[in-house]
Amino acid sequence: MYAFVTGPLAWLSFTVFIVGIIARIIWYFRGLSWQLDRVAYKEHMAYGIKGAIRSIVFWLIPFGTHSWRFYPFFTICVFTFHIGLLFTPLFIFGHNVLLQERWGFSLWAMPEGMADFMTVAVIIAVLFIILRRNALPEVRILTTPYDYLVLAIAVAPFVTGLLAHHQIGNYNFWLIAHILAGEIFLVAIPLTKLSHFIGFFLSRAQLGMDYGIKRGGMKSKGLAW
Amino acid sequence: MPEGKLCNKQTVDTEEQLQALLNDKSGKQYYEEMNHLDVDAKALWATIQKTLKSRLRTWLEICAHCGMCSDSCFFYMANKKDPTQVPSYKIQSTLGELVRRKGHVDNAFMQMVMDTAWSKCTCCNRCGMYCPFGIDMGVMFSYLRGLCFTQGFVPWELKIGSGMHRIYRAQMNVTTEDWVDTCEWMAEEYEEDWPGLTIPVDKQDADIIYTVNAREPKHYPEDLAEAAILFHLAGENWTVPSEGWEETSLAMFAGDWAACKMQVESVYDAMERLNPKRMVVTECGHAYRATVVEGPYWTGRKDGQTPIPSFHYVEWVAEALRTGKIKIDPAKKIKEPVTYQDSCNYIRNAGLKDVAREIMGYIAEDFREMKPNKEHNFCCGGGGGLNGIGRYREQRNIGLKVKRDQILATGANLVIAPCHNCWDAIRDLEEEFEIGIRWSFLKPLLIHMAIVPDHLKPEE
Amino acid sequence: MFEKILFATTGTPTCDHAAHVAFDLKKKYHSELTLFHSMGMPSRGFSQFVKDSRTGEEEYLDNDYADWVKEELKTYYAKQLAEAEGVLFETTAGESHREILRAARKTDADLIVMGAHSRDEEAGATRYRNVVGSTMQRVAKGAKCPVLIVSRPCTTCLWYFSNIIFGTDFSKASYSAFLFAYQLAKAIGAKLHLFHALDMSSIHAGKAVSQDEIEREIAEARERIEKTYVAKMEDYDNYEVEVWEGVPYVEILKFARERNGDLIVMAHHTREVDPEEAVLGSTVEQVVLRAACPVASVNRPDKVS
Repeated sequence: MYAFVTGPLAWLSFTVFIVGIIARIIWYFRGLSWQLDRVAYKEHMAYGIKGAIRSIVFWLIPFGTHSWRFYPFFTICVFTFHIGLLFTPLFIFGHNVLLQERWGFSLWAMPEGMADFMTVAVIIAVLFIILRRNALPEVRILTTPYDYLVLAIAVAPFVTGLLAHHQIGNYNFWLIAHILAGEIFLVAIPLTKLSHFIGFFLSRAQLGMDYGIKRGGMKSKGLAW
Repeated sequence: MPEGKLCNKQTVDTEEQLQALLNDKSGKQYYEEMNHLDVDAKALWATIQKTLKSRLRTWLEICAHCGMCSDSCFFYMANKKDPTQVPSYKIQSTLGELVRRKGHVDNAFMQMVMDTAWSKCTCCNRCGMYCPFGIDMGVMFSYLRGLCFTQGFVPWELKIGSGMHRIYRAQMNVTTEDWVDTCEWMAEEYEEDWPGLTIPVDKQDADIIYTVNAREPKHYPEDLAEAAILFHLAGENWTVPSEGWEETSLAMFAGDWAACKMQVESVYDAMERLNPKRMVVTECGHAYRATVVEGPYWTGRKDGQTPIPSFHYVEWVAEALRTGKIKIDPAKKIKEPVTYQDSCNYIRNAGLKDVAREIMGYIAEDFREMKPNKEHNFCCGGGGGLNGIGRYREQRNIGLKVKRDQILATGANLVIAPCHNCWDAIRDLEEEFEIGIRWSFLKPLLIHMAIVPDHLKPEE
Repeated sequence: MFEKILFATTGTPTCDHAAHVAFDLKKKYHSELTLFHSMGMPSRGFSQFVKDSRTGEEEYLDNDYADWVKEELKTYYAKQLAEAEGVLFETTAGESHREILRAARKTDADLIVMGAHSRDEEAGATRYRNVVGSTMQRVAKGAKCPVLIVSRPCTTCLWYFSNIIFGTDFSKASYSAFLFAYQLAKAIGAKLHLFHALDMSSIHAGKAVSQDEIEREIAEARERIEKTYVAKMEDYDNYEVEVWEGVPYVEILKFARERNGDLIVMAHHTREVDPEEAVLGSTVEQVVLRAACPVASVNRPDKVS
């Protein structure tokens, strides 16, 4: 079982992930139309790129935009969640051991305590996000079961990983569950609204170009995001 | 399939059609017919497939339902945080649903979509600045209005408005003769006070071609006279075109893209015919948005630019004050607290926030910013055509509360609103709530404050 | 004289006295009379709403409504219309003063007759377009022809104008007013009173003026009237020159009362004050509000020379 989920299944999920992301990018760019979107992308590329970079960078900085500052509590949740989500799997010790075994190289590995901290932080952030979803009427009205499913997919590797690592319950069961959860996560990224993994950058870049080229970027220093 | 006599999927291209609509008191028959209007699901889905590309699809798909757009929407604020006013909800329950059902929707659904698209969104685009994914629901609602228009689900006044553009190339029934005559009339009326004042029509190779909002010749021609006086004071070599003088676009509010194209083409033709160096448009926000920002794309201009460089009136005013073409008498600067209404269409969506501040620096001693301001300012409450739609009067008036409170918080007595829609909304706001403010375009204030050189003064 | 009269009315009792004068003038001078009514301002942006200027109700502007308004006007003035022939009707929607001016231009009127107030203004609805100052004042300012403002019953007018009071401040616009007053007096054989009031309120504010100086100034003003106006009157001798001192509008009212004036003619100064301050400011406005007789405001030479 272990061999299967870490072997063919892992290959499959990585393939779906990478091919899916590339397909998304190609589909997105092919679907852009200067006339339908009413943005002269090609004619004013320099303004467009400037707008796109501004649009992405400000939003990547915690409290970097008016909107992030307007919702400080949620902003902390979002950044904790996403930083944990992206960096923990890359720099956790166990994954790097695996990398070393299979491909003969590894990345910097974070200390165990930090890994635990980040994992717990992700789980707590998710709990708060779920609480917020239920507590605030303006978010509750938007919420669908799909939103919970997506959250579950994202947080499952962390819960299972934490249980497996600390050998709470059946280690083998949790380990397999963890690996499967991770693979589901990878596959889900291009196939669900988790595609905002790449969609965030594409969409932000597009709106940045819109503002950079058409909506004032050529007559001002740029929108104050 | 049943199509109404007045409410149908046809565009209004003849005066007879237009008159029939106008004679329908309050659009009573029109809206009654709308109850029986069929939805052409096949055509609707075909249009969606052709025009709903990756940008809009991605927006619909990746929305995280986080609700960060909620407080960005003045309708949400004004309606006591009613969750059904959250922008994401509004677009997901309309356009989102339309796409999920592949266009197979019924009459009631389309009427709900129409009510949402015109009475719960002014396409101010503020939400787009508050979404982490950059989902601009104003853009989507504008797109949705276009879909509604093709199916005949469009508010009565906007059906009329788009028809006006199609027939008169103006949002009101102002003909070329009316317009030229108004120019003559205003020059006559003011030439005694301003010797040498003219309103040159169709002058070739002028430095500036000036274009307006049809409401000015129709109802407030002194606005045209005031523009002439300021150009006269500044010593500009300017002209107005006899045709192609109207910059506004109710067609844009209606989602009638073909009429939008016809309208801006008339302006671009005037630019090409008269060969001026640049274009200046009156104090109107959506006119600038339609003709300068969006227009080039409707007409297929690949560079997204108008045939000649085009400027909003505030840009010209800032330049005239900066270069000293118009000098302000320091003793006549505005002394009372005054605030500035940032118009969505030329501030948020065209980047002119700094020139507006520059002007205020020259003319006001106690300028007070609204909060929030500049590109983050709230819509006046009457944008996107909402001011003129009788059916949604009540919703519009509720929406005005946000602007009312913003103005009250500044403590200003005077609101400068260089945008027809904002100006109207603030007037209606005062009528509705009586908070004791005055409001004004820039032109009359500038004339009052400007130093008149001796050679331009009348002889006594 | 008075070939084409435009009577701007709201079709309500506020304009009854003006109507009386307008129809009488038509009778006497066989003028072409146009009854003009501005239905109200289409508000609500570009919509078809109109706030009816008589009822204050919100109405939809369409042909039916316009016809209905015309019918209403005809009913309201049925008595006068029975005695007058060929009266024309015009109605339109818009800002009242602007539409009156537009109609005057279109009909090439040489006299506009109107009341001092419309219902709109009584209701305090001047905030309608954020312009302070009444329709009357704005018409008086912009009109190319004389504007006859009637706000009281015209008790002193005995088959029209025997004592015409011309008040001047020697401005250019006053010369146009003079031309009108003079031509009218000559045409109908009325006595013309040429009057000037030394403005004691502003010129000498805060400064004690000796009686000598006042008398010297009065003499100067008399001389100026002789030179500027009397000299232009050729052989017409039914006139009088008078100069008083005080607050101009008070003095002209006092003078008109003493001389049984049945028409006051003066200029509305285009640049005297801007409309914002003019609510209380302009002399013509004050005179109109208080005078017992009609007041003609003349601002431009176009229709009087």
